[in-house]
Amino acid sequence: MIPMLDQIWFPLSITLWIATMSSLLVLCSGVVIAYIFARRDFRGKKLAELLVTLPLVLPPTVIGYLLVILVGKNGFIGHLIFNVLGTGIMFTRQAAVIAAYTVSLPLMVRTAQAAIEAVDKELEYAAYILGRSEIETALLITLPLAKRGILAGLVLSFARAVGEFGATLMLAGNIPGKTNTMSISIYSAFQAGNNELAQVLVLILVLMSLLFIALTGKIASREKFEV
Amino acid sequence: MGVKVRLRKSYYEAEDSKRRRDRAKGRAKTGAKIEAKKAFMLDVSFEMENELVVLFGPSGSGKTTLFKCISGITDPDCGNITVNNKVYYNKNNKINLPIQKRNLGYVFQNYTLFPHMDVRKNIECGLKNWNKESREERVMEMMSLLHIEELEKRYPFQLSGGQKQRVALARALAPRPELLLLDEPFSALDKGIKTEFIEKIKSLQNKLKIPLLFITHSLEEAFMLADRVLVMHGGKIQQFGTLDEISYHPENRHVAELTGLSNLFDDARVVGYDEISKSTVLMSGDLKIRINSLELNPGNLISWGIHPEDITFLLPGSEDQDKNIYQAYVSSVINKGPKKKITVKLIRHYKTLIAEVPAQFVESLRLSAGDSCLIKMEMSKVVVF
Repeated sequence: MIPMLDQIWFPLSITLWIATMSSLLVLCSGVVIAYIFARRDFRGKKLAELLVTLPLVLPPTVIGYLLVILVGKNGFIGHLIFNVLGTGIMFTRQAAVIAAYTVSLPLMVRTAQAAIEAVDKELEYAAYILGRSEIETALLITLPLAKRGILAGLVLSFARAVGEFGATLMLAGNIPGKTNTMSISIYSAFQAGNNELAQVLVLILVLMSLLFIALTGKIASREKFEV
Repeated sequence: MGVKVRLRKSYYEAEDSKRRRDRAKGRAKTGAKIEAKKAFMLDVSFEMENELVVLFGPSGSGKTTLFKCISGITDPDCGNITVNNKVYYNKNNKINLPIQKRNLGYVFQNYTLFPHMDVRKNIECGLKNWNKESREERVMEMMSLLHIEELEKRYPFQLSGGQKQRVALARALAPRPELLLLDEPFSALDKGIKTEFIEKIKSLQNKLKIPLLFITHSLEEAFMLADRVLVMHGGKIQQFGTLDEISYHPENRHVAELTGLSNLFDDARVVGYDEISKSTVLMSGDLKIRINSLELNPGNLISWGIHPEDITFLLPGSEDQDKNIYQAYVSSVINKGPKKKITVKLIRHYKTLIAEVPAQFVESLRLSAGDSCLIKMEMSKVVVF
């Protein structure tokens, strides 16, 4: 049985769409969270750090379950979304983005936080003394100097989003033509005995993963400024 | 005008959680606030005009902490800081000007050039609200002032230590600061470039007429630069005076030691004033010393000393304690660049002195270990405190 192009193309495009959306969200929020964790002290910071990191160690099904409670029709966030949009988001590609975002955020925060913490604070003070505000200093000095860490975090988050399976399955389900991502399609093709399709999809994911590794290696070896 | 600083800041020893709990418990019992153990306290007060003042003291004496308080990187516990009638900090009036509004130039010890920006961008960083033309003009002006025009497009990692220093100085001066703080800017420079920069900084200060504070722990740099020297030790100002004042009229032992007074004795007693020779007589053990000072009460126990450079060697002759001339023998001669360091022992007084004299002088006198010699301490050069 030769897999139809659509059977490959749709999972690939939906996976790339979900991973891109999730990575954009992770980039915007993760860098801000990482900066706050690295440079500010506040009450409950340890707890906040713990909460952000938790999805890294929680079993995917547990994350999925917790997200269903939160985002589902009766959940706090789900209720809010329902009131605004007039429709729930469970079993949609948006739900898959939420699942991917939750599991890949800690990768970005941890990598970016370490990179920001490694930026010499005296450089920031030098910028303040030259009249630059904290936001200007972050944009002009801190984040550009932590760029490599942030890029590495972005690649890791994207890869994690591409591979996301457990939480996505619980939150977005496996609706053909709607939420069947690569990982999920591999599983259902395998279950249905459609080995040809499974093999093609596996091959694509292996190639993508190799690309990610090459990409992280390239970021790590980029010209380094001596401080 | 000028700078007025009066502040205090304490640092506490790091506590483990158990000690902190115990302290909190103790407070709960007695109701009194129990302080953590103080590790260090900066407690300074001084005023300066538009002049160059050197902050001189050993490492750990609080020099950099003082700079951080003035620039706003850390807040003092109490006090006030005023620069050119602009209040930077005043605890009582709850004024604490943000770092960005203080308008000062600060050159950090390691220059802190932004590594991802070229020299031009580094200098431009402080010219935030300038329009394009005046900004470009100002950058050119700064680059020509410090002779770094050809470095415009280079990145910090492509610069030598001396070049980095010029760029850091240009960057600090570009926004026309009202006060310039330099934290050991010469520590990473070769001696030759150092002398050149010292001239540069002195002429810059003359030109800009802004107060300039300069940190160093090198006596040599302090002597080459300063109008006045602020001697710090253990977080406190020990003395604030001209070079002559701190070298020949130190207020205490810390200042005496820091200014290189290596021949120091604590066992002198004031005998009295001698009208004929117009000098005060001290007895240090059984060594009689005459000094020029008048305001000493007979019977007082005081410390005296003499700088190694102020000990002179005479042609062999007889001891004359009334002229501060003593018999001695050379115990060692050590090379110290163009100078020689000679350790001499006073024959009848069990005292050892260290002298520094030009090498050629030692050769012409043919001094070597074991020789007897005659030394003199000029009355006006003997330091007492």
